[in-house]
Amino acid sequence: MEANQKTVKIMMDEKEVLVPEGITILEAAQRNGIHIPTLCHHPALTNWGGCRMCVVEVDGSPKLAASCVMPVREGMEVVTNNDRILESRRTVLEFLFAERNHNCMFCPQSGDCELQTLAYELGMDHLTMSFSFNSFPTDVTSEYMTIDHNRCILCGRCVRACAEIAGTHVLSFHNRGPRNLVGLDLHATREGSTCYGCGVCLQVCPTGAITNRYRTHYAVKGHAKDWKSVESLCSQCGLLCPTTSYVHDNTVVKIDGKLQGNGGRPDGGQLCYRGRFEILKTAGKRLVHPMVKGKDGTWKEESWDRALALVAEKLKSIRRAHGGEALFGLASSALSNEELLQFRDLMAQGCSAGHVGSLDAEHFNAVSKAWELKGEPLKEANWKRIPEADFILLLGANPYQTQPIVSTLVRKAILERGVPVGLAGDMDHVPPFVPFQFPLKNEHLPLFIKAFRAETAAAGKKISKNGKGSGRGKQEATEMWAPLKEAGLPKAAKKTFQEMVSAFVRSRNPLILVGEAVTGLKSPSAFQDAMKLALLKGVDSDHGLRLMVLKPYGNSAGAWKLGLSSNGVSKSKNAWKGGLLCLGHPKDLNSKAVAELGNPDFLGVISPYFPETLADRCQVVLPKPLSMESAGTYTSVDGWETGFTEKVLEPPEGVRNSWETLTSLADRMGFRHKFKNWDDLSKKALKAIKSWRPAG
Amino acid sequence: MGVPKVATVWFEGCSGCHMSFLDLDEDLVSTLSKIELTFTPITDFKDYAFPELEVGIIEGGIGNEEHLEVAHKLRKRCKILVAWGDCAVFGGVNTLRNWIPKTDVLRRGYVETESTVNGVIPIHEELPPLLDKVLPVNQVVPVDVYVPGCPPSPEVLAYSLVSILQGRTPILPNEMMHFD
Repeated sequence: MEANQKTVKIMMDEKEVLVPEGITILEAAQRNGIHIPTLCHHPALTNWGGCRMCVVEVDGSPKLAASCVMPVREGMEVVTNNDRILESRRTVLEFLFAERNHNCMFCPQSGDCELQTLAYELGMDHLTMSFSFNSFPTDVTSEYMTIDHNRCILCGRCVRACAEIAGTHVLSFHNRGPRNLVGLDLHATREGSTCYGCGVCLQVCPTGAITNRYRTHYAVKGHAKDWKSVESLCSQCGLLCPTTSYVHDNTVVKIDGKLQGNGGRPDGGQLCYRGRFEILKTAGKRLVHPMVKGKDGTWKEESWDRALALVAEKLKSIRRAHGGEALFGLASSALSNEELLQFRDLMAQGCSAGHVGSLDAEHFNAVSKAWELKGEPLKEANWKRIPEADFILLLGANPYQTQPIVSTLVRKAILERGVPVGLAGDMDHVPPFVPFQFPLKNEHLPLFIKAFRAETAAAGKKISKNGKGSGRGKQEATEMWAPLKEAGLPKAAKKTFQEMVSAFVRSRNPLILVGEAVTGLKSPSAFQDAMKLALLKGVDSDHGLRLMVLKPYGNSAGAWKLGLSSNGVSKSKNAWKGGLLCLGHPKDLNSKAVAELGNPDFLGVISPYFPETLADRCQVVLPKPLSMESAGTYTSVDGWETGFTEKVLEPPEGVRNSWETLTSLADRMGFRHKFKNWDDLSKKALKAIKSWRPAG
Repeated sequence: MGVPKVATVWFEGCSGCHMSFLDLDEDLVSTLSKIELTFTPITDFKDYAFPELEVGIIEGGIGNEEHLEVAHKLRKRCKILVAWGDCAVFGGVNTLRNWIPKTDVLRRGYVETESTVNGVIPIHEELPPLLDKVLPVNQVVPVDVYVPGCPPSPEVLAYSLVSILQGRTPILPNEMMHFD
């Protein structure tokens, strides 16, 4: 309690307590260690007072009051627990059970259900009324969630969470009276809706109405009381969302976002479909033994010793024959900073490899060139400042796929603050209400960015010369527009384009989000143009550039800063005679990356699963843990932060952690890492990232 | 009072509650020595001619006309009627059929199942007709003691039975309550 805050004196269960003015009776009770059962109340959401589970007696009034919405008042006398109150709560609970289908035996949420817990707490060992057996629809169109309206108690938590936390406003109450239910958009199913699948509704749902389609079965899940919880960070996309993972029998049964105590993150601690659901997907049988391909092409299990010796021997013999130049090391940017740094040093110093890079290096090459523009270290825009932006431009970016939380923040910006948002590129997962939309193929994006720059420059001059436009700038913009028309943009788009540019010119705090479609282009000039466009609005002295790159992998920023792209000698593929590939997950490999590998004489792969797509061209596969099975640090997508993720699970028996594997490999290559142990490696990785400066 | 007479019946349910009771293992001996078991699903009897009972126990929901009749008979004969398990207390997993018309349920079960060839819905004067909806016992006759759980653990079953024999109405403490 702050000293200058006004307090009121109330009687609570015959005890005099001092509480701050303006808080609710429920909060006052919680502060004084008095338990009041709740159901529609959720600490991260606004109070609603709908379920009447938290009723208390105030000043002996015959009408019980909902404590979650009633503020305290000087001299108030509150009774939180007597027969009348208990009777009222139990009756409410019975009505809830009787209204729809709340049979725990065939509900996947049993054992982790607030409604069930309340029934136990209030001793509801039977119902005095009959069940209604009304039938409501069940929506199974989502790959992630089942929405079973038969188990819904209409507490409205999901509706509030969808609006207040996710900011997407997809859920609302539909119909009236006994047919009342929570619906998506205008009577859509999950599949046909604008839902982003963040699952915040699922996290706050106190019953089995919204359930996870992964780890559904009781045999896997067990009871919540037997779970272990691990606080960590999600390393999937670089936004480093804080998570609580619940573990049963060395299996993650669910992952929750930190809706409270998340340090005021702009996303309110929500997670996305990737961090909540996708990560629970398995990719087949885990690799638990090193595998070696025999002369006849069949794969056999091999001991760690012999597999490691084989890798080292092959790399050494290629080095002897063709020199270190012929060796390459490739790592997925989904790996932790520690893995990346140790791998880099092993390959670059231990094997003197000609190229040490990451699978997404092509994106960095474009970016690093542009970074030289200013000749001074520039910081990318901090993603946490999206809620402050008054103009957002997405260039060839698909945040729904790369950084899903960014897409909800952009959506929130449009819906809640009317921020002008422009989007050029792929139109997948774009809500219909994005004000300026330019569906363009990737190859037309450079033209669009050029045209945008020219139009902005022209508009800027117009403003500076009191309405008298500069002929040259304006002409340039018109010329730029012509090829865009050929790229398939309708005539009307030009007006939209000009409106968008003038919104950009007017903006004080614009933000340009550049995606893979731009950074992945062969020529870096499009990205340079985007940089110049951002620089037109100056550099914020505190917060850096007005541009951020939505990078493809979970730790792309870390890989970039650790030099996994630019340090490599220019790669001439013919020189790739032998190498090592380190993967976080086989899905890190796209077909392009597979093709890039060429057909080296020797390829060793370190991966948690057997990499089927490489089976024909690799000779040795060494198992490694998944990201959740080892601790590590990851750098945020904007490069502003580095966060530590905990080890949530034990890796399967037989799987060695990367530190051990890479150290043994180094030993066999006759190389000594400069890291004393893993902690030392972690410290050095952090230091390398902090002291990073752009090349040139 | 002599050794109290107890009868248990098995209605629409899986017999899991009886199995759970047998799971008392060595405690079964001391528990059974306190009572005289008259009717149970494991004793052989041709009709439900219950004697005057201290305790009547029902496992399972009321699913057909025989259940209805026996429930009424048992209620008349016993001082204390106990509902064992979720089926007797809430209707249980059987209530899955309450959302589906009875004829569809029977057709699915006897005719349409993948392993059935030339199936027919059995109709015979000795077969009690199925009720439209399976009901918890207290929707049919008054129940004195409820022991929810699917199944209730052996300890919970023994706790409730022993409490009754000691003349108390058992109210399950929070940690003994479970619906799954």
